[in-house]
Amino acid sequence: MSTRKKIHIAGIGLISPLGSGLEETKLSLKKNISAITPLNSSVFQARQSPPLPVGQTGTATTSPLPRTHTLAIKAAQLAMKGITATPDAVIIGTTTGGILHTEELLTGEVTDPLQYRHHALNSVAEEVAEMLHCSGPALTVSTACSSGTVAISMALKMLQSGQAEYVLAGGVDSLCRLTYYGFHSLQLVDPTGSRPMDVERQGMSVAEGASLLLLTCDKTPPSLAQVLGCGLSCDAHHPASPHPDGKGAMEAMQKAMTNGAIQATDIDYINLHGTGTPDNDIAESKAIMALFPVPPELSSIKGATGHSLAASGAIEAAIAALCIREGFVPGNTGCLKVDPECGLSPTLLPQQYPVRTVLSNSFGFGGNNACLVIAANDYPAPSPVQSHPPPLTILGKACISGAGHTESSMGRFSQLEAIAGVLNAKILAKDLPVRSVRRLGRFSKIAVAIADAALRDSGQQNSPDSVFMGTGWGALSETCNFLDKLRESDEKFSSPLDFVGSVHNSAAGQIAIIHKATGANITSSGGDYSFEQALLAANNFLDDSSSGAFLLAADEAHSKFSPLFDPSITAETPLADGGGGFYITRKAIPGRISIQLSFLRRYQETTLTEMIKAVTAKGPTEKECAMILAGIPAADTSDGEKQLDIFMRQAGLDIPVIHYRKFTGEFASASSIAAIMAVHLLEESVVASDRKILVLGFGKYLTAMEFMYQ
Amino acid sequence: MGVLLDRPQRTMDTLINDLKNRLIEILNLSDITPEEIDENAQLVGGDLGIDSIDVLEMVVMVEKDYGVVINNKDIGEKVFSTLAALADYIQKNSPKLAS
Repeated sequence: MSTRKKIHIAGIGLISPLGSGLEETKLSLKKNISAITPLNSSVFQARQSPPLPVGQTGTATTSPLPRTHTLAIKAAQLAMKGITATPDAVIIGTTTGGILHTEELLTGEVTDPLQYRHHALNSVAEEVAEMLHCSGPALTVSTACSSGTVAISMALKMLQSGQAEYVLAGGVDSLCRLTYYGFHSLQLVDPTGSRPMDVERQGMSVAEGASLLLLTCDKTPPSLAQVLGCGLSCDAHHPASPHPDGKGAMEAMQKAMTNGAIQATDIDYINLHGTGTPDNDIAESKAIMALFPVPPELSSIKGATGHSLAASGAIEAAIAALCIREGFVPGNTGCLKVDPECGLSPTLLPQQYPVRTVLSNSFGFGGNNACLVIAANDYPAPSPVQSHPPPLTILGKACISGAGHTESSMGRFSQLEAIAGVLNAKILAKDLPVRSVRRLGRFSKIAVAIADAALRDSGQQNSPDSVFMGTGWGALSETCNFLDKLRESDEKFSSPLDFVGSVHNSAAGQIAIIHKATGANITSSGGDYSFEQALLAANNFLDDSSSGAFLLAADEAHSKFSPLFDPSITAETPLADGGGGFYITRKAIPGRISIQLSFLRRYQETTLTEMIKAVTAKGPTEKECAMILAGIPAADTSDGEKQLDIFMRQAGLDIPVIHYRKFTGEFASASSIAAIMAVHLLEESVVASDRKILVLGFGKYLTAMEFMYQ
Repeated sequence: MGVLLDRPQRTMDTLINDLKNRLIEILNLSDITPEEIDENAQLVGGDLGIDSIDVLEMVVMVEKDYGVVINNKDIGEKVFSTLAALADYIQKNSPKLAS
């Protein structure tokens, strides 16, 4: 009988307010020290005093890189120490990317777009991949406070299914004004510092940090522990508050244990999400009480580290490995008297205790929950995963462009007319109930409208349970409004509504709430290749036990931010936005069109040859492949055209090529509309039903998606 | 002949009307008019669909526009029970409305 590959943790790069590296972290944890202190001006000077307590690392920012990037680079160097292999992929969870630097540039009224080149979330993963000479995909997930855990979960899936042999994955976030004031505006910050599970707790302490784990199925390098299983879920309840009974948390924990083939009674230690907010700690406790008749040892370390948002789950995964190696359980720092309403008995002081299995919890805004099971190396791995899963079948499609909704957009495209532009807000939201979308900005409205229309188009009675979404830039309006109001009031006032709306996964969270989608919910942010990254996530997380998923990408045009952030948009470029999406299911359905991701890698000369191999593996001659929709972002026109030319010559294809950005206009998720175009061309029999359409991306990445009838 | 309202009542009516307009603006309740809001109806979890994040947005507005700080959960629950209760609390505590 074959056993599933063990996924080893071969390297850990850990930087938290407790210190740098495993040894410093271990010493701090064993001393039960809290590193939470008032914000120090070395990160940024708060205009309002007294400064709030935060968890700050001792890392100095190395200009010109923003602080988040510096933390990620240092963590990557630590994780790769003594390792000769190059990772096949880098997966970074982050919520705010280079925004600390952006905040300073905006205050200084800097208008040079080059200065904002590290704003994008995906620029963090790109810097790390560049440093490590990784030619594989550099992926970015942004699911709020579960981002780092989702990144590790994604790595686990890619390694188990043979898509990679080495993956560097984890999370990173630096302190910044957006989160420092944002959580404060939600009254979620404890003015005396975070005290998880304490009866008098008043909230969290925002923190920073980075943790990257080198994961591999290679048995050669020494391993600290293994990642046994992962589980994702969504509360589908509220944008910023957990489900009061911890329903989603319970589901994610159960899924992680099922995925790791481990029983609740076999868990030795639970590392709590335990932020210290009254609601989180109650909801998480209820979930644990429901799953564990006799809960094992458990504690939250956030009273020691603070809550480093996207980094926290990855930091805690690293600490889980440390607990297994050292045979100890960290204390629940800061908690003096346990809240009887929680009903749990956390380990208050650090203690020596043999640990072979850890369940590590991470829950975030948008109801995004992710849990990991980390186990000792000799723990048996579960049975193998299905190596050839069924295709992703399209049940419904929808898009929004400057020309309108799907019918208007595809009608114009069929006439070979451009559909670029910024759709009028009223027409955009024409089918959405006014009251339920009143708090949504343009980005979320585009996404919600696409999901609703894709469901209607599918004719299905029920909504799918999962959401895989891509966005290059997220909610620009809310981000801009939040920072403007903060600056204008000398940092005295900030908008809780804008803060909640500004997170990259806000749109996917809204879709989940509206459609009660409680399955996996992942937002990917991969610049001009965000839709392709969302497709990769869907491919890895959508299994046949799911009813299906919304797979979509969207971006909003913003008159101030788009020309500053997006290198393909200059002050003269006409603004365009929108997006496209599908209702997909993991079932083969004859007569239906399938979507397949055949290639997604960073561009290097050798990658072009590999892309040709991947696309022509089954020999797509003109007989099999009818047409190419090619996407070359304006910023990469020269390189992209050369790459396309080489591709066509070396693949020996002489078929029509449509440059889809000439129709859609320039925006990061334009390829999602190209995907709708491909399906439209097949459905309208513009190409023969036995031939496929390729949607290819060129420029900084090389990507290939295939659409064909089954 | 119309009933003449005394000055405090007129001030209160103006304040309630101001608050209705501010609520529609900050919470983006674009489908209703100030007249449709009942100041004595339950504010949170009522017909307007107002929840905890909306309340926090109102907390910021009340401090910014009226100089009244509400940072205590128990007081907050009473103050935001109805729009009339909010107006009453602002009138009693606002340095900006003090005559």
